[in-house]
Amino acid sequence: MSKRRRGRDVIKVGGILNRRRLVVVFRSQANILQSMAELRAAEHAAAELSEAAQAELLELCEEQFSQLEKLQNEIILSEPDYCENLQEQSVNRLIATEAELKQWLAVEPKLLAANSEVLLEAGKEEMLKLSSELEMVASCYEAKTEKLRETKELELKWLEEKKQVLLAASDHAERLQLDKEKISEQSILQDTKAKIHKMKVYQERLMECLGDVLEKHVPLPQIESSTNKKKKNIELGINENLISLNEILEVLMNKVLSTPHDTYVTIDDTFWPPYIEMLLRYGIAVRHQENHFKIRLETFF
Amino acid sequence: MSSLKPFSKLPGLNTANILLVESEEQFQQSLADALVEETSVTVNVRLAKSLPLPLENEESRPRIDLVVFIINLTSELSFQSADASLKYLDPGYFLGKVCFLVTNARNASVPTERLDTVRKLAASLHCPLLFAEDQTPDGVTNATERLLTILKVAAGLVPLATALYLSNLTQCTVPLDIDQPSFD
Repeated sequence: MSKRRRGRDVIKVGGILNRRRLVVVFRSQANILQSMAELRAAEHAAAELSEAAQAELLELCEEQFSQLEKLQNEIILSEPDYCENLQEQSVNRLIATEAELKQWLAVEPKLLAANSEVLLEAGKEEMLKLSSELEMVASCYEAKTEKLRETKELELKWLEEKKQVLLAASDHAERLQLDKEKISEQSILQDTKAKIHKMKVYQERLMECLGDVLEKHVPLPQIESSTNKKKKNIELGINENLISLNEILEVLMNKVLSTPHDTYVTIDDTFWPPYIEMLLRYGIAVRHQENHFKIRLETFF
Repeated sequence: MSSLKPFSKLPGLNTANILLVESEEQFQQSLADALVEETSVTVNVRLAKSLPLPLENEESRPRIDLVVFIINLTSELSFQSADASLKYLDPGYFLGKVCFLVTNARNASVPTERLDTVRKLAASLHCPLLFAEDQTPDGVTNATERLLTILKVAAGLVPLATALYLSNLTQCTVPLDIDQPSFD
């Protein structure tokens, strides 16, 4: 039992070793590819290189390629390792990464080629590439700066506007505060008094107006009849003590104000009946529901 | 089982070969058209509906440097097809030469579990997971640029960088809140 297990362990270790070796091979192949790409680029750029340099480059390429082929053969010959399950794949990956890490640690930078001419050309090309890339970066940043500047201007304008708004608002607030401080009982009283006075004046004017209108349009009945009225008056039995519409309204209004619980006024013979009729018809006065001789002012409020 | 191997053939000079695998063959073509525009290296694009690749073209097929599985998130079939194709790849590919490209991830009709499944798959294989917009030209350009970056490294054309090194940095990781198998 233990023997068999050991045997399997050995196989496993062997597998790992094999894999490590393979990874190294893959790595070296990749390295060669990269350096070949570099070489090719250098060769491509340096068409005007001297013949010796070109020959050297070509030779390097050949050398690399033969090495590549050798490695390829090694890969094909090496036994394929299948790992079906995921865990084994993870292990595989770990091993590969470790191997790569070791190689990175062990690798030493080496020159592309010994010939200075080649190096100069390669370096020149690299520099040109780098400078063009940097130019792109620079232009990109310029555009970005421009855009930022525009944004900044917009923001400044916005800020200015906001400041003005703030100024106006604080001004307003200050004024309100000042008003609040200044306000006292005295001033409120003064205010109210002024308002009352204004209202009184207004009411007086309204009353005057009303008086004028009434005087002009609804004069006392005896005035309108001048000469042959005595007869008429007697005929109609009109009382000489008739009061004007003006006075009727006054009586009604005073009644409302003095005794709000009982606003009815008893009609006596001083009220000229046509006026009563007019007041009732136009909805200025209302008759008592039970007592025919009582009227009151319509409730306008 | 004939599986695709990453190192079975000699590499071409200054050449990078990419294989786009998509079961629906929608995004493939536009992506391929954009990929071959690259001028600094020769890019060969191979298209496939699924793996394994047919045997008759075996001879003329160059060595594939990067395999891209395009998964349309709106279709369950797309994911299943990619998942089924994975086993026809040599394990060597999973050392940085496979990546997943997800499209339609923003579509509202996509169930969130599907994206999680794709994420888990990519994370378990240690592969990078890219997102792409396949409807707009800008989206195609972006996807192309990202793929080219990975492809150049995978083809060994970038000095001081290897596919394994890059994939260790860019591999998809599953956020902890997704139910993850514990490793203890």
